[in-house]
Amino acid sequence: MTAMIDYQRIAPAPATAPRPVAVQMTGVDKFYGRFQALSGIDLEVRKGEKIVICGPSGSGKSTLIRTINRLEPHDGGRIVVNGIELDGSPGKTQDVRLEVGMVFQQFNLFPHLTILENCILAPRLTRGLSKKAAEQRAFRYLERVQIGSQAHKYPSQLSGGQQQRVAIARALCMEPPIMLFDEPTSALDPEMIKEVLQVMEDLASDGMTMICVTHEMGFARRVATRCVFMDNGQIVEIAPTEQFFHDPRSERLREFLAQILH
Amino acid sequence: MSALPIDLALAWDSLPAMFRGLTTTLLVTVLVLAFGLVLSIPLTLARISPRRIFAWPALLFIVFFRGAPLLLLLYFVYYGFGQIPALRDGPLWIIFGSSFACAVIGLTLNHMSYMVEVVRGSLEAVPAGLTEASEALGLTPRETFTWIRLPLAMRYGLKAYQNEVVMFTKGTAVVSVITVVDLTAVANEIFELTYDPFTPMLTAAAFYWVLVNLIRVVFRALERYLNRHLTAHEDRSKPANSLPQPTPVPSSIARWKASRSLGVPAKGQAL
Amino acid sequence: MNLFTPQFGGYIYQMAQGALVTLELFVWSFILTLIAGTAIGIITLSRNPVIQLVWRVYSSIIMGVPSLLVIFLLYYGGSAMLTAVFGASRSFDVTPFGAGMAALTIVYAAYVAELVHGAAKNLPRGQFEACSALAVKPTAAWRHVILPQLARLALPGLVNIWIIVLKDTPLVSLAGLNDLVAVSKIAAGATKEPFIFFIAACLFFILFSALTSQLAARLEVRLNRGIAKAKA
Repeated sequence: MTAMIDYQRIAPAPATAPRPVAVQMTGVDKFYGRFQALSGIDLEVRKGEKIVICGPSGSGKSTLIRTINRLEPHDGGRIVVNGIELDGSPGKTQDVRLEVGMVFQQFNLFPHLTILENCILAPRLTRGLSKKAAEQRAFRYLERVQIGSQAHKYPSQLSGGQQQRVAIARALCMEPPIMLFDEPTSALDPEMIKEVLQVMEDLASDGMTMICVTHEMGFARRVATRCVFMDNGQIVEIAPTEQFFHDPRSERLREFLAQILH
Repeated sequence: MSALPIDLALAWDSLPAMFRGLTTTLLVTVLVLAFGLVLSIPLTLARISPRRIFAWPALLFIVFFRGAPLLLLLYFVYYGFGQIPALRDGPLWIIFGSSFACAVIGLTLNHMSYMVEVVRGSLEAVPAGLTEASEALGLTPRETFTWIRLPLAMRYGLKAYQNEVVMFTKGTAVVSVITVVDLTAVANEIFELTYDPFTPMLTAAAFYWVLVNLIRVVFRALERYLNRHLTAHEDRSKPANSLPQPTPVPSSIARWKASRSLGVPAKGQAL
Repeated sequence: MNLFTPQFGGYIYQMAQGALVTLELFVWSFILTLIAGTAIGIITLSRNPVIQLVWRVYSSIIMGVPSLLVIFLLYYGGSAMLTAVFGASRSFDVTPFGAGMAALTIVYAAYVAELVHGAAKNLPRGQFEACSALAVKPTAAWRHVILPQLARLALPGLVNIWIIVLKDTPLVSLAGLNDLVAVSKIAAGATKEPFIFFIAACLFFILFSALTSQLAARLEVRLNRGIAKAKA
C-alpha cells in the first residue's frame, strides 16, 4: 500500500476562497419505471474541481452524470449547471449542453465523417463559426491531444485510444467550461489506456472542471480533488481524495477499496 | 433443345415492341419509386409518432396496403374507383380513368407501405450512442437528424432498399392485367398472335433479368461510394478495435439477406 | 344493391370456394418450396465447382425474373415442355393449379435455399466442434444440435417467404385458376360492387398473414429459449 502514497498530486488542494459553483445537484431522484436509479443525490461541484465518481456496477454512476447534461431527464430534485437550471425545457437543455462537454465509453465518433469533420460539425452548426475558424480551432485541439496528423482520416482507420483522444478533442472544440467523462477508458485495450489518461491529466492541470466516472484509481489519486462513492443509486461518501483512500469513513467504501486495490 | 423452340427470328422481330414495353415498365417503376420514397417519409414519421392520432391511422394504412396482394390493389383502384359515378363525371376522371395512373397509384400505395419498414429499420439501426454524442455536443434534434441520423440511416438501409427495389421492379409485371402495356403485356400480346409459348416469355424474362442486374450494379456502386469511410486504408497502422458497431438491419425488412452483414469489419478485424 | 339477395349470397359462397382454392394452392406450394429449397440449399453448400456454377446460374435467373412470367411460361408452355421431357407419345394437360404450384415452387425454392446458406454461415463453427469433441454421431448431431439451430436462424426469413408466397398466389388467377381473386373480380363485375368484394378478398389475405405472423412470433420465442438477446 505504501507505493500508492507517492503518487504525484496534480490537482490543487480544495481552494480556501469559495469558487463559483459549476454544477449543483440537490435531492436528485431518477426512476426507470419502478426501479430507482438515483435517490437523493446532493452534489456540489465548484469551478476547477476534479471529481471522480466510483462504485460497483449498477450503482448509478453513469446515470448521475448523464442527468447533468440531460441525456437522461431527472425525476426529482434540482440540477443547476453554471447558473442554468435544467427544468426540462428544450431551451435550457440546449444552453446546458453548450456548457458541458461529454466523452463516452464507446467514443461515439461519427463514422461517416473524417476526424476533422467530426470536430468542426458542432462549432459550425451551433456556435456559427465559419469553416476556416472551425478548422483552425479543431487543429488546435487535435494537436493538443496529439492527433493532429490524423485529421483527414476516418474513425475506422484509428485505434481505440486514438479515437477516444479525438472524442476528447471534439468535445473540447465546443470550448465548454465543464467536461464529463463516462468511463472513458473502459472500452480500451490496456496498452491504450495510458495515452487517454495522459490527455485527461493534462486537461486537469490546465484548470478544467471535470467530473469523471472511472475505475482508474491511480488516475483518481493523481488528479481528483474529491472522490464520490456511490452504491445502489445513492452517494455513500464524498471526501477529498487523500481522506477517501486513506481514511474511508463508511464500511461500504472500505470494502470496495479493499476489493479493488489488491 | 429442339423441343423448346426458341424462335430467334421472332425474338428479333419482337424487339421494338419489347423496348416499348420496357419503356412503360421503366416509367412505372421510376415514378412509383420516387413517389413511394417521398411519401414514405411522412408515413414513417406518423407511424413512429408517440401521438396516437398519427400512429394508429398510419398503422392501419400500412397493414392494409402491405398485406393486400398487389393484384387485388390494382383491381381495387382500377375497377373500384372507376365505378364511382361521381368520379366518372368529375375532373379526377383524368387520373382514375387512365389505367397507367391507376397502376401508379396502386403500386405507390403498396410500395410506400413496404418502404416504411425500410425507413424505420434504417433509422433504428443508427447506434443510439451517436445520437447522444450529437446532442451532447449541442446539436438540435433537427440538426442531429440531418447530419447524423439521416446519412447513417441511408448507409444502413441501403441493402434493404435495394432488395425492395428489386422485388418491386419484378412486381410491376402485374400491371399488364389492367391494360397497361408493359413488358409482360407485350409478351402476352405476341403469344396471342403467334401461339409461341416460349419465345416472347423468355425474351421478356431476359429483359427483366438485365434490368434487375443493372439495378444491382448501380446499388453496388452506390454502396461503395457511401461506405468509403469504412474501406479507406491509406495507413494501416492499427486496426480500429472499438468502433460503434452498426446493428444489422432487422430481418423483417432485409428480406432475403437477413444474415448478411453490410460489409462492416467486425470488432478487432483488420481492414 | 341489396346485400341480402340470393345472388349476392351465391357470390359469397363462391368467394369461400375461391378462398379454399387459394389456400390449397398456397399450402401445397409452400410445402414443396420448403422441401425443395432446403434440399437445394443443403446440396449447394458443397464446394463442388459444377454444383456452384449450376446454383449461380439458376439463382441468378430465377431471382431476376418476375414470378408472373414463370407462371405464364409454365402454363402456356408446360405441356410442350412435358412432352419434350417424357416423349411425344403422351399429351399433357397443364392445369393452372399445376402450373402455378410448379412456378411458385421453382421461384421461391431459390430464396429458401439462400436462407439455408445464410443460416449455415451464421451457425457458430464451435457447435460442430463441440459435437465432435463430445463424440456425438453426425446424424444425431444434425438432428439434435444443428438443425434446431438452423431452424431458429432461418425462421424470420421463412416467415417472410411465407407471406410473400401467399401474396403471389393471386397471380395464378391470371393463368385461369378460379381462386379467391378471380372470383372476386367476377363478382365485382357482375354485381357492380367492386369495393365490397375486393376489400373482402384483401381482408382474407391480411387476416391470414396477420394470424400466421402471430404464430410465427410465438414460434420464434419458443425457439429462442435460452438465447440471450444482444443488448441494444
